[in-house]
Amino acid sequence: MPRRLAYPLLAVATLATMPVALCSIFLRAPEERVMGAVQKIFYVHVPLASITFLSVFVLLVGAVGYLWTRRAAWDHLSIAAAEVGLLYCTLVLITGPIWAKPAWGVWWTWEAKLTTTVILWLLLAGILLARAYAATPEQGARIASILGAVAALDVPIVYKAVDWWRGQHPIVFGPGKPDPLAPGMGSALMLSMLAFVLLYALLVASRMRLADLSDRVAACEEAASRER
Amino acid sequence: MTRPSGKPPGFFGTAAIVLAKDLRIEGRTRETIAATLLFALVVLVIFGLAFDLDTMRRLGASKLVPGVVWITLAFSAIVGFTRSFRLERTSEAWVAVALAPVDRGAVFAGKWVANAVLLVALEIVLFPLAAVLFDVDLVSIALPLAGVTLLHTVGLAGIGTLFGGIVSRLNRGEALLATLLLPTSTPLFLSAVHCTGSVLDGKPLSDDRGWLLLTAGLDVLFVLVSLLVFDAILED
Repeated sequence: MPRRLAYPLLAVATLATMPVALCSIFLRAPEERVMGAVQKIFYVHVPLASITFLSVFVLLVGAVGYLWTRRAAWDHLSIAAAEVGLLYCTLVLITGPIWAKPAWGVWWTWEAKLTTTVILWLLLAGILLARAYAATPEQGARIASILGAVAALDVPIVYKAVDWWRGQHPIVFGPGKPDPLAPGMGSALMLSMLAFVLLYALLVASRMRLADLSDRVAACEEAASRER
Repeated sequence: MTRPSGKPPGFFGTAAIVLAKDLRIEGRTRETIAATLLFALVVLVIFGLAFDLDTMRRLGASKLVPGVVWITLAFSAIVGFTRSFRLERTSEAWVAVALAPVDRGAVFAGKWVANAVLLVALEIVLFPLAAVLFDVDLVSIALPLAGVTLLHTVGLAGIGTLFGGIVSRLNRGEALLATLLLPTSTPLFLSAVHCTGSVLDGKPLSDDRGWLLLTAGLDVLFVLVSLLVFDAILED
């Protein structure tokens, strides 16, 4: 069965790519001239951030799909996108400052990308909280879908607004002009991106399977209590 | 409300009935407006204590007052949105609303306009009061200020009504409203503070065309999405 095969294949691919990406980052990629070893976090931070925002799109698809069709599978996708998205978003917010302190001299600035990320984190946490507060799983699914769709549509506007807002002020600690990446750097970034995409897919697939299983357990319990 | 024809009212008819009902209840009890207004006063006074007139003059009114006023408005609006669906919730009137053979989007529209009216009433008191407390000349800029404020109030009432409806269906949901509403409406508040600041500086509105367009887009987006999904809130 292709679906049963896909899951272990994904797991094996993730486990195989991760060490290759790590070797490429720490052994092959040249050390950055100005920032030194600190720049290595770039290979983790950039894929995490890109996939966080990809996750918002996945959340939108799941949320609209559920509101449209009311099929549980779409809701499972939106649960997975919100939870794994929150995990990736948290990691972005942790890895970012670790790099920013030595590179920019501050842990945090209110620049558009940073501010949008923190607002996205709040939105995702709010969605998960709303789902947890719901009286029934169906109500939770509906409310989380509505909030997910609104949040996903909101994120690009938040980015634009904060960008304009900060545009009124000089950016003191700008990242400066990005140097073209040295040959080893580009391939390390690509490998790391691949590893984190695979990990994302694996986590989303696992979370969807877990949601499906817990739905089935709930259905079995309901059937059993009706027979009694 | 009985209707002679026996036919259910259309979209605008339903919205008008819901709006009239909410405003009539508010007119007789004055509960929400009293609660929000009092809360707004408290927040404004606290801001007044935090930034005295000296600080205010040194920084310039346009730097501080817009933020103060819009934070006050945001907080008191949350108080209002939480109360907006309280009656439906406490007396289980949701069931009746859900059973009524009317477009649920129209129920949202009625609630949205009612909330917008209440917010405007709040602003009519709040802005002059802030002008007095923080020494700002409002008379010369009344018209552009009213336009800017109304544009942002429409969108804020839209998203607030949707989220108010959502949290009214959740247990312990009230605590969640601020958590959901404030991050979502960040662009709206950024734009409101920026545009209000420009108006206070006496700049023409055409300077902020981008912001005003963004807000108009947000207003349309928030209201359209709410009209589409409000149906899903009323189920079960």
